[in-house]
Amino acid sequence: MSTDQTTDRRVWLGNLATGLAGISLAKLTSQCAETKAYGKTDFLPRAKRVLQIFCPGGASHIDLWDYKPELERRDGQYLPEGAFLSFMGKNGPLMKSPWKFRQRGESGSWVSELLPHVGSHIDDMAFIHSMTSKSNTHGPGCQFMNTGFTADGFPANGAWTSYALGSENNNLPSYIAITDVRGEPPSGAANWGSGFLPAEHQGISLNADRPIRNLASPAGISPKAEQAARQFLNLLNQQHRKNNPGNSQLQARIAAYQLAARMQLSAPEAGNLAQETRATHNMYGTLDSNRFKAAYARNCLLARRFLERGVRFVTVYCASRASGVDGLMNWDAHKKLKADYERHCPIFDQPTAALLTDLKRSGLLSETLVLWTSEFGRMPTRQEGTAGRDHNPDGFTTWMMGAGVKGGVHYGATDPLGRRSVENIATVYDFYATVLNLLGLDFQQLGYYHNGIERRLTDVHGHVIRELLS
Amino acid sequence: MWNRCLILLNIALLHSPLCYHWRLHAKEQIDFRTQVAPILQKHCLRCHSDGKSSGKLSLTTGTNLAEQQLVVPGKPDQSRLIEIITPAAGKRPEMPQEGPALTAQEIGTLRGWVGNGALWPASFEIKSPTSASKSWWSLQPLSKPVPPAPLQALPNWPSSPVDQFVLRRLQDNGLSPSSQADRRALIRRVTFDLTGLPPTPADIHAFVTDPNPAAYEKLIDRLLASPQYGERWGRHWLDVMRFGESNGYEQNHVRDNAWPFRDYVIQSFNEDKSFDRFVLEQLAGDIVGQGNPQIEVATGFLVAGSFDSVGNGNPIARRLIRANTLDDVIAATGSSFLGLTINCCRCHDHKFDPLAQLDYFRVRAAFEGLQQTARPLTTTAQKQRHDAQRGPLVQQLSNVEAQIADLRRTVDKRVDEERTTLIRKLFPRPPVSKYGTTETFTPIEAKFFRFTILRSTGAVGKSTVSLDEFELFAAEDPTRNLALATSGAKASVRSMRYSNDDPLAYGAHHLNDGRFDAVWISGEPGGQLTIELPQVAKIDSATWSVDRIRAYAPNRSGAFSAEYVLEASRDGKHWTAVADHAGRQPYDKSRLNEQLFLEALQPDEQAHHNTLLNQRRSIRQELAAIKPLPTAWIGTFSEPAEPTYLMKGGDPEKKGPNVAPASLSVLDQVVPSYQLAEDAPEGSRRQKLAQWITHPDNPLTPRVLANRIWHYHFGRGIVATPSDLGYNGGRPSHPQLLDWLAQQVHLREWRWKPLHRLILTSETYRQASSFHGNSAQIDADAQLLWRFPPRRLTAEAIRDSILEVAGRLEHKMGGAGFRLYEYTVDNVATYYPRNDVGQETYRRAVYHQNARAVKVDLLGEYDLPECALPAPQRNVTTSPLQALTLQNHSFMIDMARSFANRLILESEPGNIDEQITRAYHLAFARNPIREESTAARRLIKDFGLLVFCRALYNANEFIYVH
Repeated sequence: MSTDQTTDRRVWLGNLATGLAGISLAKLTSQCAETKAYGKTDFLPRAKRVLQIFCPGGASHIDLWDYKPELERRDGQYLPEGAFLSFMGKNGPLMKSPWKFRQRGESGSWVSELLPHVGSHIDDMAFIHSMTSKSNTHGPGCQFMNTGFTADGFPANGAWTSYALGSENNNLPSYIAITDVRGEPPSGAANWGSGFLPAEHQGISLNADRPIRNLASPAGISPKAEQAARQFLNLLNQQHRKNNPGNSQLQARIAAYQLAARMQLSAPEAGNLAQETRATHNMYGTLDSNRFKAAYARNCLLARRFLERGVRFVTVYCASRASGVDGLMNWDAHKKLKADYERHCPIFDQPTAALLTDLKRSGLLSETLVLWTSEFGRMPTRQEGTAGRDHNPDGFTTWMMGAGVKGGVHYGATDPLGRRSVENIATVYDFYATVLNLLGLDFQQLGYYHNGIERRLTDVHGHVIRELLS
Repeated sequence: MWNRCLILLNIALLHSPLCYHWRLHAKEQIDFRTQVAPILQKHCLRCHSDGKSSGKLSLTTGTNLAEQQLVVPGKPDQSRLIEIITPAAGKRPEMPQEGPALTAQEIGTLRGWVGNGALWPASFEIKSPTSASKSWWSLQPLSKPVPPAPLQALPNWPSSPVDQFVLRRLQDNGLSPSSQADRRALIRRVTFDLTGLPPTPADIHAFVTDPNPAAYEKLIDRLLASPQYGERWGRHWLDVMRFGESNGYEQNHVRDNAWPFRDYVIQSFNEDKSFDRFVLEQLAGDIVGQGNPQIEVATGFLVAGSFDSVGNGNPIARRLIRANTLDDVIAATGSSFLGLTINCCRCHDHKFDPLAQLDYFRVRAAFEGLQQTARPLTTTAQKQRHDAQRGPLVQQLSNVEAQIADLRRTVDKRVDEERTTLIRKLFPRPPVSKYGTTETFTPIEAKFFRFTILRSTGAVGKSTVSLDEFELFAAEDPTRNLALATSGAKASVRSMRYSNDDPLAYGAHHLNDGRFDAVWISGEPGGQLTIELPQVAKIDSATWSVDRIRAYAPNRSGAFSAEYVLEASRDGKHWTAVADHAGRQPYDKSRLNEQLFLEALQPDEQAHHNTLLNQRRSIRQELAAIKPLPTAWIGTFSEPAEPTYLMKGGDPEKKGPNVAPASLSVLDQVVPSYQLAEDAPEGSRRQKLAQWITHPDNPLTPRVLANRIWHYHFGRGIVATPSDLGYNGGRPSHPQLLDWLAQQVHLREWRWKPLHRLILTSETYRQASSFHGNSAQIDADAQLLWRFPPRRLTAEAIRDSILEVAGRLEHKMGGAGFRLYEYTVDNVATYYPRNDVGQETYRRAVYHQNARAVKVDLLGEYDLPECALPAPQRNVTTSPLQALTLQNHSFMIDMARSFANRLILESEPGNIDEQITRAYHLAFARNPIREESTAARRLIKDFGLLVFCRALYNANEFIYVH
């Protein structure tokens, strides 16, 4: 989609809603005396917006992306470190992946047979196989992956991006977290919170079955009444502003009400999946008999519609939190790896692949950075007394794709068993230094003073992984 | 970039270790300590030091320099270190990336050092540079400033020392103050300021018409004496010290017992407790107020933060989690009381302030005995009474249990002699198996099969039951499972574990889906399932399991059915038992032993046993009838097992020397130091720390306190960062005024209310907020206070005002809080904002049970902190979501309706003008102007009062104070 068309649509929606020419949220916020958005890039951005796909629960690198023939050979043997301790306690012997790996694409990259659809995009993906985390626990791990800190209270990746770049649209939020139908990921809203950044940068959580809250005018107030009320409110506010000059916040709040009115029209439009063709629905799998897959497919489709409408940062969660049975609601396969992943992968595979295909086909991918993440990986051993794997923060895989990313790259590596990262060990800080770089931001410059420190998404660490950049 | 050049170096250079002994190539003696180290410290250590080693290089010691071969001893021209600090023709050198480049002389010194052999004296460490030294302004003793004379006197100005300081700063900058605000503006401002609520029309009328020249002072006294004062200012303190009512992190379980601390804070403000006492109670209330719940509750301060409650099988992770938990306490203590960011020196010396890493662990030592949990909160008498009630019963219980055990031993001895025979006789059938248990029975024609689980394999009366499949086999050959959903059978259950996110997560459908992955969980001890076949069929066996695919080791898996009965029915009403667990060997050994014991009892023994069981039951009942002592989330304390030790790089696994509880070295030249023994009683550590914090010579505590009070009155502190008076914080806009106020803190015995009076009665506070273009050009945001800075209400004040104006605010103080969210738990907690909220929420927002990271509509959108970290100042955000909530949430419609009804009740019937005027008095504390009345009349006539009231709630004027 060309930029011109985007602009046209924005103006059209703006006119439709209020009769006013659109004023961007970035402009709006920059008028607020007490919220100083960073508002500019440090160098030429490669990506305008970000799509993050998050598989919470600790998605196993060695069963999905990181092929380990040596693990197959040593199945049943103990690691030299013996029955070492991890999150759940003791580990048993090595356990090979229950699935075969296949080489896909021109790059011949290995990928699990569990992901036939996603595997078709392998040549466009840049893998980091040597990721590490500071936490072996889901909640802090998710927060670390999304905020750069294991503790509560820090702004999420999308909040930082919104703070840094403002909004790219004038009728929708700039940061949206699309939660799974099975619930929120570990640590819930802390994953898309604004932390100490101004609340306007918080992610708005919603999904295809649960729209933005308080969007509709209340029943019993007719459109005519609504219009008259707005006129009256406008009179009050203009009067008040005239009596209190020199306060830009007042104008900002008037503009926020106009923006809200536009959002009331554009958000339901953006969420209206019925506008999509039957073929598109089939490609994503929105009508699948598996209710979880269908729901995730709807969320993927929704993500594309938000991205093409200029939402700056969209995170889609595939699965949710720790439940009464490990691995039931997310990728946390402690005990029944085979059964669990044969339930999760069919939910994840086709809709994700369709979303990537769709982004590619529409040209959005050239401006959109796609991230696939999980909070950590899993142990190559079996958790003692089970047919599952425990948490592994010492080595796991993430990948990027799209704007500015070189496809077919495999950066870093774990040891031959997948136990630890050993080559080009990468951190969450490196990951976001790279993401910010692609967005045109210097990760060392993007900061916000809070309680004594200039805080960053990357804390005081990180370097840009240039090997991933095209 | 460092990384790239390091790789090059590794290839280019041969082995060149850094020398740890003196090499004499000296042309000129260069002393490392006095000449080289200061240069490295000044230019390099900002980024290259332990804990902050950019490019994996730390120059704290010489180790990395040697390992990475950045220096070729004796050859400066081949040394990478020299290359990157030397500018190439007119260009900035590669390093340092931040700060000024090295001078030619400094480069010369380093060259000389390398030329001489690059000696780094053994075990010499360079300390990170701090940007502030101990001469930093906030660390100096309080000065005794004399209020300056004005350059030129003005009418009413100055009327107090506060004004003298402010006026002089204004005049020095070519500014002059604004005239006094009118009484309407003043009463609205000061009422919101002190109580967080709008003034009532009656209050406004009384004040505006009060002929008493001291009317304003009277007003302030009334407001300070009102209980709403504590609700407003207590909330400020709760922000500062990160009070939240959930555990945070992944599980984020709600805390239903944290509110007593909130009430303590509110009450402390209302009774104007002196701040030094307030500090002492919060750090050591259990010691200084032992047996007095009103003081013991204060240690809620220590455990008010969040912590990781999940647990961890990895001991290294456990130690790190513990360190993080205490870090929260250390950070809150430093920032709330001292305005110090002590938490910044957890891994290394503070980068900006003269705080040593040692200081961090000295404070940690004070909290080493703390556990995040609840503690009984009672008077000594209550506790004694409780112990007196329980004590004898507990004794009796243990007597009875001893007798039961005796009997058991006697009988078990007999059992052991014939154990095998007995088992064979009593239990001819094998035990149930988690991999699959089958019951075969006489074929029966039925449509319904009911499986009732009487007892699970887990803990009696507690453990729920899980099953991965339940199968019914047709009496035919070959047989087949007729229970499958795909064959048209339906599974239903009496109960199941519930998950709000996915109500079917543990549902009955797992029982007959033909898959052995997910399980039905009964959610109760025992359980019951029913399979309804599509039509009557002849069945002769049933099989069920919990781990059919053998994912678990033999001794593991969820609890399943140990004792059961299976019944069949044609109509679903009349049941015939077809199988049960009779004759099966008990699954677990303790149950087996118990059964054998019971079987082996002789009649007299049996009678005795029954008597004992009855006795035990009745004692237990009596014990259960004793009301447990009330508990609150105020932490427990125990003597630490080990001394505190310094963690190198902040890593608990890297043990440094032991650290004794002691005062912070940062103030050792100002406040008398103390050091306790490494194993000093833990309570004394906290008490001593509190005394040091409030020591009369400690300049930080009164400065921080005075500045906080100023911050909340003017929307901005004299130092703009109220919890950070260090290098990274703001600089005081009125340094002399700050010290003068800090002196007043001492003079007024650490009490808040006299300080409020001092500030509020100043002309500075009473100024109008009118805008003056000329002044704004010099001082745009009125930092120097040429006007009263207008500001938006806080989230709580907005919600409270909406309720108050609608006439719906319940003024009930204290007690358990209310929730604007639905709270659900399935292992972890999930919070859903409520679409409809009832009257139980019509309380002041300070009583909302704020859970961490949970944004509830109105409160969250208007910048209520996420309450995970201290929030010494609030953000002021403007967003469209605020507009959506304030216009469309059902709460707003309810309030607009109540507001409208109130207008009808409080005005002459049908008199729209009176209704409008009343509405303006309530919402804006003023009369409407003609243009507004006209428009309002039209709106009301066309669309009714509700629409009008809703608009007023959304007006800027409603939430701004001038």
